[in-house]
Amino acid sequence: MAKGSKVSANIVMTIVIIWLLIPLAATIVYSLFEDWTGIIPKGFTLANYELIFSDSSFLTAMYQTVLICIVPIVITIILVLLALFVVTVYFPRLEKYMQILCMIPYTIQGVILSVSILVLYAKNGSILSDRMVMLIGAYCIIILPHIYNGIRNGMRAINMNMLLEAAEMLGDSKLKAFFKVIVPNIITGITVSSLLAVSLLFGDYVIIRNLSSTNVNNMQKFLYQAMKRSSTEASAVFVVIMLITCAITAIVLSLQSRSGAEKVSKQGE
Amino acid sequence: MVKKGRLKTVSNRSMRYYYLLALLPFLFLVVMYELLPLIMLIIDSFQLDKDPSVAFTLDNYIKIFSTLSYKTAILNSLKITFISTAVGIVIAFLGARAAHNSRGKFRNVFLTVLNMTSNFAGVPLAFAYMIILGNAGVIKQIANMYGIGFLQNFDLYTSTGLTIMYIYFQIPLSTLLLIPSFNGIRKEWSEANMLLGGTNAQFWGHVGIPMLLPSIFSTISVLFANALCAYATAYALLMNNFSLLPVNISASFVGDIKTKPKLGAALSVVMMLILCIVILINNYITKKTAKWESR
Repeated sequence: MAKGSKVSANIVMTIVIIWLLIPLAATIVYSLFEDWTGIIPKGFTLANYELIFSDSSFLTAMYQTVLICIVPIVITIILVLLALFVVTVYFPRLEKYMQILCMIPYTIQGVILSVSILVLYAKNGSILSDRMVMLIGAYCIIILPHIYNGIRNGMRAINMNMLLEAAEMLGDSKLKAFFKVIVPNIITGITVSSLLAVSLLFGDYVIIRNLSSTNVNNMQKFLYQAMKRSSTEASAVFVVIMLITCAITAIVLSLQSRSGAEKVSKQGE
Repeated sequence: MVKKGRLKTVSNRSMRYYYLLALLPFLFLVVMYELLPLIMLIIDSFQLDKDPSVAFTLDNYIKIFSTLSYKTAILNSLKITFISTAVGIVIAFLGARAAHNSRGKFRNVFLTVLNMTSNFAGVPLAFAYMIILGNAGVIKQIANMYGIGFLQNFDLYTSTGLTIMYIYFQIPLSTLLLIPSFNGIRKEWSEANMLLGGTNAQFWGHVGIPMLLPSIFSTISVLFANALCAYATAYALLMNNFSLLPVNISASFVGDIKTKPKLGAALSVVMMLILCIVILINNYITKKTAKWESR
């Protein structure tokens, strides 16, 4: 029976892998050939990639994507770190409320968040109505649950109060000790959650469509526009997007397995 | 000495409230971009687009539930969400069980593919499906050459096509969420089941699935939210031509036609309510089934 279940397990996994890889693989092949009307594609070419990488609007979109991913993540990490420091060290009773505030974005999600920010601030006239400010605000909220979970789990894994007391005895203030001792200890958790946030923001289309002005593009918006122009050009954009997404995933996985291995070896000691 | 100590605790206590200042930036962000927009959206939903002087009315909600196009949007959304969630959870169960039963390299390949495709949704997914199954799609053309009927007649630009794409993005997410819970099923149990003469199906029906129910239901919550709120996949494929809740909401705020933000607000509230109800039901079932587990 054990052998039978192993065979059926392999069959199930093979089917799922094929199902998941067909659209990916087909689009990659499509981007590399001039003509694919029969079974075998004809005319290998890199022209599509040459085209997009010589297109200044594509490079601008790439640059803007990086910028609008990094800024909200840095802001959110700093704010959550400060808030979690105060709450866990001085006001543990507030922890519950902070958790609720950080989990609400799970149920609002992109569409509702973006339109609600839009109606509230679009006609405001102050800096709040600046499209970039609205976009960054929305991005900070959408990644909040992930950043919060990453930092919170990291803090739970170490004995924070003991470390803080030790640092205090050695003459540091608690705040200084927090950033000098605690943060370096949970840096892997912070890195992993910010990379997850990167892949979330990198894949965003609805928020940037609803909130940003026409001259701000991310890769998803660029892909959407390229799709309307030419499918061969869009297929190259698609491959670039997938490569970046896969690279982020690979880094996350290797960081997670490394920290997992560390934990195991620590337990072994 | 004593005085000094007391002084220190007093200053410590006032220091403690001093530290509340460090909470302010976080609170500013949450109030300005999470709570305030949400509260204003709910208030807006009780006001009228045509007549801003009305302070409170249920007209928007009445309109939503009496106009065919809005009812269609809700029903379409629910239909696609339910089907993709149901199919997604079944495949996730089979996939996670397969990953649980196997070891070694092939399992790692499987996990890598799941992780790789877990962020594959939205515009890129819609595009890839157009390449393979669109009107001039690769698979379509191969089907034409060999006369494979059901593929020849397949139309991606329908709710069926959309459902297939939704199922696609549900699979990696749900499988990855379910895999860890299989670690709770011990080998000894299936061995005991076998020794007592039970079949594989009996084991999963009476032991395995009941054990996994809490994780299955919490995964269903995630899948439901994921599908109900998905916008980019549907928009990239069909633009505003297919009526779905998130597409209608977005169109009533940002659009080429006249916008209807108050009605859109009411639609948003309806969508949030659907989501909350499903999450609450799932949480209730999860708790019930988890109780069974600890008994």
